[in-house]
Amino acid sequence: MQAASGAAFKAMEGSMKILKGLGTAAMACGVFLLAAPSFAHHSFDAEFDGQNCKEFTGTLTKLDWQSPHPYFYMDIKDANGKVQNWSFQTYAPITLRRNGTERQVFIENIGKQVWVRGCIARNGKSNYAAAGTMKFPDGVLRQVGQLQN
Amino acid sequence: MKPHLRYGVGCLAVMALWCVLTVPAGAQDKEYTIKVLPPGGPAPRLPDGHPDLTGHWFPNGAGQGVSGRFGVDPAALRTFDPKVTPEEKPELQPWAVAKIKAMTPTELELSKSSVNCLPRGVPAIWLQNPYTTLMVHKPGLLVQLYEVLNNWRVIHLDGRPLPKDPEPFFHGNSTAHYEGDTLVVESIGFDDRTYIMPNGWFHSDELRVTERYSRPSMNYLIVEITVDDPKVLVKPWKSAPHRWTLGNGEVYEFYCTNNKELQELEKLREQELKGK
Repeated sequence: MQAASGAAFKAMEGSMKILKGLGTAAMACGVFLLAAPSFAHHSFDAEFDGQNCKEFTGTLTKLDWQSPHPYFYMDIKDANGKVQNWSFQTYAPITLRRNGTERQVFIENIGKQVWVRGCIARNGKSNYAAAGTMKFPDGVLRQVGQLQN
Repeated sequence: MKPHLRYGVGCLAVMALWCVLTVPAGAQDKEYTIKVLPPGGPAPRLPDGHPDLTGHWFPNGAGQGVSGRFGVDPAALRTFDPKVTPEEKPELQPWAVAKIKAMTPTELELSKSSVNCLPRGVPAIWLQNPYTTLMVHKPGLLVQLYEVLNNWRVIHLDGRPLPKDPEPFFHGNSTAHYEGDTLVVESIGFDDRTYIMPNGWFHSDELRVTERYSRPSMNYLIVEITVDDPKVLVKPWKSAPHRWTLGNGEVYEFYCTNNKELQELEKLREQELKGK
C-alpha cells in the first residue's frame, strides 16, 4: 500500500499547492481551511475507526453513485507492489453536489491517479474505508466525507 | 526533528505570520466565504393575511449547503446558538433510560432512520434532518416536501379535529390553527419505529407533538417543537427555536435504497454478540 509512508510530507506539499491556488489570506489561515462538518447522517465512529486513518494514492477504477452513499473504487499498490482494489464510502450524493463534487467529476477521472485520506472500517472488511478528503488530478482539495482526525 | 516535521512547523509559522500581517484585527468574521444569511425584508403574506411559509428551507444559517465546504462561518452551520437559546435536555423516566442504555452501540446505530432508511417522521424531520425541505403554503393547506427519502406531508389548516383512534403514521395525524402569526400544528398517532432524536430517544403511543412555525422575516423560518409523552418523559420537552434559512436551487431526489452500511453494521453486531 502506498499509504502512510511519506504521506504526511506529500500532504503538506499538496496543501501548499492548494493555498497558492486559492490565493486568499482567509484560506491561508488554517482555521478557515477546515471544511464544515457534515450534519451527522449517522455516527461515523460506529462503522469506521477515526483513529485509523490513512492516505492512499492510486487509480480510480469505478464509481457507484447511489443513495444514501456513493462508493468509489481505487487500485492501490500495497507494500509488496501488489495491486489491491479498495472501496471508499463518501457523503450522500446531495451533499457532494452541494459542495461542488458532482458525479461527473468522478466519471471524468476514472483511470486517473487520485489521492484520498480515509478511515478504515471497524468490522474487519478488507480494503474498505470512509473517504474524507480527496484530490483529483486538478489538485483541488475536496471534502468528500467525514474525517475524525 | 524529522524533515517532514520541520517542513510542517515551517509551514505553520509562515501561515501564522501571513494571518497576522494580512488579516486586520476584528476583520476575521469578514473572511468567511459562506456567512449567516441576513434576515431579509418582511415575510411575504398569504391572501388571508398570515405569513406565507412557502420556500426552500435549509437546516442551517446559510441558506445553502454547508456540509463538507470550506470557509463556512461556524455560526452558519447551526439552526440555533446554544449560548443564546440553550435547548433543554429531555428528562426521560428511569425505565426509558435503562432501555436506551441496554442498547449496544451498533444496535443504537441500526435504530437510526439515516441508517435503516425508514422515514424520520415527526418531529425528527425538524430535529435530525440535514437535508432541505420545500414548503408550499396556501390558505387552508401547508405541503411539506422533504428532500430526505422523498417524503412528503400535507397539513390541513381548516381546524379539523384530531381522530379519536388515529392510525399510526410516520408523520402523525395533524390539526392546525393560528396563534397570531404563528402556525401551530398538533399531531398524535405515530408509527412506533420513529425516534425523536438519533440517540435512542424513542416514544410511546401517547406521543403528542406540537410544532410552532413562524416566519419573522423573508429569509428565516423558525420551528419550535414540543414533545409530550407521559409514558416516556417526566415532563414535556420543548426544543430551542430552530432557524431554517431560505435558499434556492434544486430539491434533489434521495431514495435510500442501497445502504451497504446495514450489512456492515450487522457484521459488527454479530461481533458484539460473540463478545458478550
